[in-house]
Amino acid sequence: MKMTWRQTVLIVSLLLMSTAAVAAPQVYKLGVDGLACPFCAYGVEKKLKAVKGVEKVDVDIKTGNVIVTVVEGAVFDQATAKKAVTEAGFTLRGFEKIPQGTSK
Amino acid sequence: MNAKVVLKIARNLVIVTVMLVVGGWLAFVPSAKESPYRFVTAWGEKGNGPGQFNDPIGIAVADGEVFVSDSRNGRIQVFDLDGRFKRAFGTPGEEPGKLGRPMNLAIHRGDLYVAEYFNDRVQVFGLDGTPKRIVGKPGSGPGEFKAAGGVAVAANGDLFVADFYNHRVQQLKADGSFVRQWGTTGKIGVWAGEFNYPTDVALAPDGTLYVADGYNDRIQAFAPEGGFRGKWGGPFAINIFGPFNGWFATATRVAVDKSGNVFVADFYNQRIQKFNADGAFLTSFGTPGQGPGNFNYAIAVAAAEDGTVFAVDYGNNRIQKWRPAGRVGR
Repeated sequence: MKMTWRQTVLIVSLLLMSTAAVAAPQVYKLGVDGLACPFCAYGVEKKLKAVKGVEKVDVDIKTGNVIVTVVEGAVFDQATAKKAVTEAGFTLRGFEKIPQGTSK
Repeated sequence: MNAKVVLKIARNLVIVTVMLVVGGWLAFVPSAKESPYRFVTAWGEKGNGPGQFNDPIGIAVADGEVFVSDSRNGRIQVFDLDGRFKRAFGTPGEEPGKLGRPMNLAIHRGDLYVAEYFNDRVQVFGLDGTPKRIVGKPGSGPGEFKAAGGVAVAANGDLFVADFYNHRVQQLKADGSFVRQWGTTGKIGVWAGEFNYPTDVALAPDGTLYVADGYNDRIQAFAPEGGFRGKWGGPFAINIFGPFNGWFATATRVAVDKSGNVFVADFYNQRIQKFNADGAFLTSFGTPGQGPGNFNYAIAVAAAEDGTVFAVDYGNNRIQKWRPAGRVGR
């Protein structure tokens, strides 16, 4: 069967879209009690960034929410988050995976 | 028990309560001995361009220049005393010359000392930004740090470092060799000589060491030979926080002026407080907000030779300049 150029473009586009979906990072929202100032926010950030697969950590000291972005395929569960937060000297009070596209 | 007795007991309870409140207020809430400082100007906004900040945290002043640790941007920015941008140095990273969340700063004999939280070290630069040397490495042993928060330098070149996560203050020789420490490594405490996440240190002209004992909401002072000299911040200075004169809600910076007065950044109370060398409250300035003279978390302070005070307004991503308004009263 001879493939038209339109079919070729369509197949390549679908392949790119599926690759992008597989490689999309996962985002988690952690609730952390006791965050008071950058000194402790940086401590949580430092510990979480040391976890394999974590590529970005955003800490909001006003709300106590920590947004963690993890690369696709990496293991990041509540136990991992709790260990990092506890080692930083704080208490994990919430852990949820945020559906992609709603992380804000 | 008849109504008369109940009324008498109630009246006595009210009297005792009032006496306790008044007595507590007189004992633990000092009045100002100086008038507040006068707001002069502010500069900065959020961003990564010249004169913009992303988490400004530390500040130091020397030779007509203001040095600011622009923490999340991983750099030091330098301004003149009116806030005009002069230069910047450093980028985020671990290699020499790069910075991992620079925190409180100190200047000593033409060198800038930068406590680095992420890199667990103190990095020394020339005031022009030339990287000179690195002191310390990650860990909990002698001469090692777990999140260096602040640094002070003695006349002989010894370093005093607030070792935040190790809950101690270390004294090191200029080459990084260990001299001694205050506090027990890794142990939080509220009594004299113990720490709860120390954030910064300062040395007075007479050699007194002041420690911002961050989460104990107090300042501790130690004599040059190392002995405990005193502490202040709330009743008995035992981790009781509050908004009153002389109390703190997370002390993130301690700085000393040339006369020996002590300035403290009172983070959650959105103000700078000033004390004499013995910890007697003198005055405070700053209120919450985004306007002139307002702070959105006051995180650091530094005093210039002429008495001008520069403060870091963390949440508003700006630097504020204040001047004394003149003495009043006693």
